[in-house]
Amino acid sequence: MKRATRREMLKYGAAAGLASGLTTWPGMGRAADTLKVGAVYVSPVSEIGWTKQHSLGVEAIQAEFGDKVEVTVIDNIFRPQDAERVFRELAGAGNDLVFGTSFSHGTPMQKVAPRFPETKFEHCSGIKHLKNLGTFEAKYFEGTYLAGVTAGHASKSAKIGFIGGFPIPDIVGPANALLLGAQSVNPDVTCNVIFLNSWFDPGKEKEAAKTLIAQGCDVICSMTDTATGVQVAGENDAWSIGYASDMSKFAEGKQLTAFTLNWAPVYVRAANSVAAGNWTSTEQWLGLADDVVQMAPYNPELPADVITAAEKAQADIVSGALHPFGGEVKDQSGQVRVKEGETLPIADIRGINWFVEGMIGNLG
Amino acid sequence: MDLFVSIFTATIIAATPLILAALGELIVEKSGVLNLGIEGMMLIGAAFGVWAHFAGLPMFLAVVIAVLAGMASSLLFGVLALTFMTNQYAAGLALAIFGAGVSAFIGRGFGSTPVEAIQPIDIPGLSNIPVIGEMFFHYDPLVYFSFVMFGAVSWFLYQTKAGLTLRAIGESPDSAHAIGFHVIRIRYLAVMFGGGMAGLGGAYLSLVYTPLWVENMTAGRGWIALALVVFSAWRPKRVVLGAWLFGGMTILQLQGQAMGLAIPSEVLSSLPYLATIIVLVLISQNRQAMALDFPVSLAQPFRPKG
Repeated sequence: MKRATRREMLKYGAAAGLASGLTTWPGMGRAADTLKVGAVYVSPVSEIGWTKQHSLGVEAIQAEFGDKVEVTVIDNIFRPQDAERVFRELAGAGNDLVFGTSFSHGTPMQKVAPRFPETKFEHCSGIKHLKNLGTFEAKYFEGTYLAGVTAGHASKSAKIGFIGGFPIPDIVGPANALLLGAQSVNPDVTCNVIFLNSWFDPGKEKEAAKTLIAQGCDVICSMTDTATGVQVAGENDAWSIGYASDMSKFAEGKQLTAFTLNWAPVYVRAANSVAAGNWTSTEQWLGLADDVVQMAPYNPELPADVITAAEKAQADIVSGALHPFGGEVKDQSGQVRVKEGETLPIADIRGINWFVEGMIGNLG
Repeated sequence: MDLFVSIFTATIIAATPLILAALGELIVEKSGVLNLGIEGMMLIGAAFGVWAHFAGLPMFLAVVIAVLAGMASSLLFGVLALTFMTNQYAAGLALAIFGAGVSAFIGRGFGSTPVEAIQPIDIPGLSNIPVIGEMFFHYDPLVYFSFVMFGAVSWFLYQTKAGLTLRAIGESPDSAHAIGFHVIRIRYLAVMFGGGMAGLGGAYLSLVYTPLWVENMTAGRGWIALALVVFSAWRPKRVVLGAWLFGGMTILQLQGQAMGLAIPSEVLSSLPYLATIIVLVLISQNRQAMALDFPVSLAQPFRPKG
């Protein structure tokens, strides 16, 4: 028997690595005009949630390109140390365009991208840009503002409850906008906030939702990756606001609306520009005007004038006549943060680390 | 008063999966076996329970399937640790990881699909008493079952001959073997009981508490159950107290956050862990008493001689 050489060992090792890491590896041979797209998800695709919305973006590319695209999806990659290997493999396999779908994919993508200048990378929730690494993110706060408008009407106790994964700007900003939207209807509304310090703990999320309801909140908005908040609100006859996907089937008829994420335009645009050879690294921050943030159908139990008010606010945000963080905005201590007639600059919204007046919670 | 009642009932419910899994592990460890795979077995129970529910089985049978699935997974551990006498730490950790994978596979088709939850049952007469009825007589059947299991485990360990045998095997398997007990067979039974209880704890999460399947939904509760057994110094009463304390502190820290306490949420989130460890260490301070409860042969493989 021939002794295995070191070179062979490396070869087999690489093959084993590919086989174990990439279960949905497509055929290696391809026609020259086929676009190869890779996407990395943080969790498996389920009925609803963050990853589901990204999978719809990938499906939109497939619908647009038909058999002119080859898609490789790798799911359940959350930790940066796993992600780096996966991104390197995707780029090494000749993918033209690779999507990362989590903030935690940022560092690995920044490491891998410079070594594969031919591959274009698009990173959702990313901050840092490179020549072949662009970022995109949704203006969640526009969605929560509109949801807040309905909540301001629906809340009898004038108390809203908000559950967030972590106290980070991407959560704090939308929480603030939710209350600002509600206060635009009823200035007395306050908002109690709980951070789970976890994206994914349905048990704790249930306890948090019950806690908020016990403290008198009758509208619950939960920005985590499960439908538990909506579910618990429904069980306890409280209104709810869904996040990422329409969660009405969990809500027992109590979902006011949901601010959903439609990444399809972003995915298709990136694929088109890579195919056309004119892709450049961009920083995209997209909202209602771009159809990236969308509102799920408003609850039919809401009075018609409330729905009209929300729709008017939506039109005004799209036209620019209304800005969720338009002055005057005070923070928790009563200090004016945005003056009358001004709006909070984009950089300040992306880095927001303070609560607006009426928020009951602590950012440490 | 309403707030107190709500905190009280939320605590009892939050503690239930911990109590179920920890009581199971208590029996396992009392027999001298350390199964670190509770988290994996809970996940397997949770996933199979949801699977059975969507296969159209009635809720009762879905719970039974979850228990059986937990038992089956613990048998894997049993074969490795008891028959082949591998390192119990390694086998248990392997089971924890294996369970996460298997449960993800089983649950693949049901991710975030709502489940018809098991509803609380009302006890005629008692449930209508104001406050008391709400606090004590308005739970789902599995909460009452966890109370029954607490009684059964305490009675079994300290009042029955079989319990004495189990403890003897945990203390000195060689002596127990010498007077004719089947050490391996009894340890197998203990391990399966632990697996079944962990599966039940998992099913409580996926069928009752947050009625849906999401991957890794136990979110570390298996490890907390494991810690409760050790910190309670292998006493059933303290296991239950520890679980209530942990559940109660979790609810209280959420209440504190929602009220806007001027403490960072990260610090509040760590309180349940700190409080539970501190209290259980304090009440387990008597070293002599602790030595009596510690199963001396814990995690040591047993090889019958002669």
